[in-house]
Amino acid sequence: MSKTINIPLGSQHIALLEPVHFTFECENEHIIAASADVGYVHRGVELACASKFRFKQVGFVVSRVCGLCAIIHATCYTLAVEKLMGIETTKRAQWLRLLANELDRIHSHLLCLAHTAENAGFEALFMQTMKDRELVMEAQEALCGNRVQFDFVTIGGVARDVDSRMIAILREKLTKLEQKIENIKSMFLTNQSLSLKYKGIGKLDFNKAEEFCAIGPIGRASGIKHDVRAVSDYLPYSDVGYRLITETDGDIHARNMVRLRELDNSLLMIRNVLDGLPEGDIAVKVSGMPEGEAYMRVEAPRGECFYYVKGVKSQTLDRVKIKTPTFACIPAMIDVFVGSDYADAPAILASFDPCMSCTAK
Amino acid sequence: MRMRPLFWRHLTLACHVRRSKMISAILNTLTNLFSKPATRNYPFEKEPKDDNYRGLIVFDEPKCIWCLQCEKVCPPGAILFTQNIENGAYTYNYNPYLCIYCAECVRACPDKASALSQCDGLIPPAGKNQNVNDYWFKIEEEAIASKEEYKKMKALKKSQGGDDAKTETA
Repeated sequence: MSKTINIPLGSQHIALLEPVHFTFECENEHIIAASADVGYVHRGVELACASKFRFKQVGFVVSRVCGLCAIIHATCYTLAVEKLMGIETTKRAQWLRLLANELDRIHSHLLCLAHTAENAGFEALFMQTMKDRELVMEAQEALCGNRVQFDFVTIGGVARDVDSRMIAILREKLTKLEQKIENIKSMFLTNQSLSLKYKGIGKLDFNKAEEFCAIGPIGRASGIKHDVRAVSDYLPYSDVGYRLITETDGDIHARNMVRLRELDNSLLMIRNVLDGLPEGDIAVKVSGMPEGEAYMRVEAPRGECFYYVKGVKSQTLDRVKIKTPTFACIPAMIDVFVGSDYADAPAILASFDPCMSCTAK
Repeated sequence: MRMRPLFWRHLTLACHVRRSKMISAILNTLTNLFSKPATRNYPFEKEPKDDNYRGLIVFDEPKCIWCLQCEKVCPPGAILFTQNIENGAYTYNYNPYLCIYCAECVRACPDKASALSQCDGLIPPAGKNQNVNDYWFKIEEEAIASKEEYKKMKALKKSQGGDDAKTETA
């Protein structure tokens, strides 16, 4: 039997974006076993939601679970509570929620692509992508008044309305962004040094992806035709030109391509929202208190985000359960690590786009 | 001997494919070399600001109807009212360091009052000012204690008044 060596990666490491710890058992350059520990940024959000805050304030608390998909968490929680209380919001509020959700997806995907490039050793592309991401951040700032914590979705509707000036700003930013994304896309498609690091590496085939329940862009890159936006109508996605995007290869390149093509689709949807925004109020009046149980799932940039809410007809909720997409993808991630080279581990990790703040919450 | 021409053919083909990319790469480098940086020259050049950006909450006291809705809805508890024990008058306390600029208080403020509004200004960092927290902890305690005390006082007065009234009727 040959000698193996254990290499720890994390919880603080230059190739990691967020605190997660991996132990790789390596035989020469090959990883033969891997394990993960994810609990480094636990903040007790679920308990705080069910004890310290009133149910109308919890939406702002769960936004702080994650900086990248803040609006997704808030949307998911709000939709769950609205389901519980039987509130139907206005059409305009729904469309605005969709707009904010898709802007969030664009900035999250761009960040992931930038880090994938960085972890493959392509610093220049990382800088370029982050520079272009500034456009969508500015668009979000124009829409919500803040760059990262949007606090846009509230129970009953949305917090702010958009006017024609804002729509013009959004259109201008998105037109610029569209060209930039084309450049990035051609880079990811044709650059040879990126292809060497991406094509055929970190492969997760269809059967394995199904076995480990891979969700989100990771599952779709392996050919699993699943997207919450397609199977449920929590927001009016069918009205704005949503299209399910899948690839078949299941390697890092395929994951990047899924994200890049989703960017195009998100931009198209945002354009349609801006063109056909229905008139009306942005919020309905909320009265009463939540009683009973409800669950809701929403497609986050990384996959399916799940909320379970239990209310007992009081201001404070009885239970809030959050299940985040990265947590569901960790078994698949471990499986991909096993059998690949140690040198590829950072690139594979970045391609999974792990969000540890979400996972540990 | 047959290897040689094949090798040269491959090399020229490769060069041909690469040449177009090479030229575009060189052009890209040159444009990047002489273009302005994407970052801003920060302390001298401020970022352009929109009126819509979220910032501190502004309180207009004469308009306030003291319904305490803003205190109730504020997620981080950055607005607290303390009460004068003698006459029951409220004092508005706002912690800009705790505020998350969500403007939930502005939305909760009744239409007839609209005493709260949001500006785009931000608070400078507290730095070495250690008093920020201690000051606020005191207010947090005071907000709860003063209201309870006033309630007790009121109840006491009422009961006393009630007793007086009873004795009078008797």
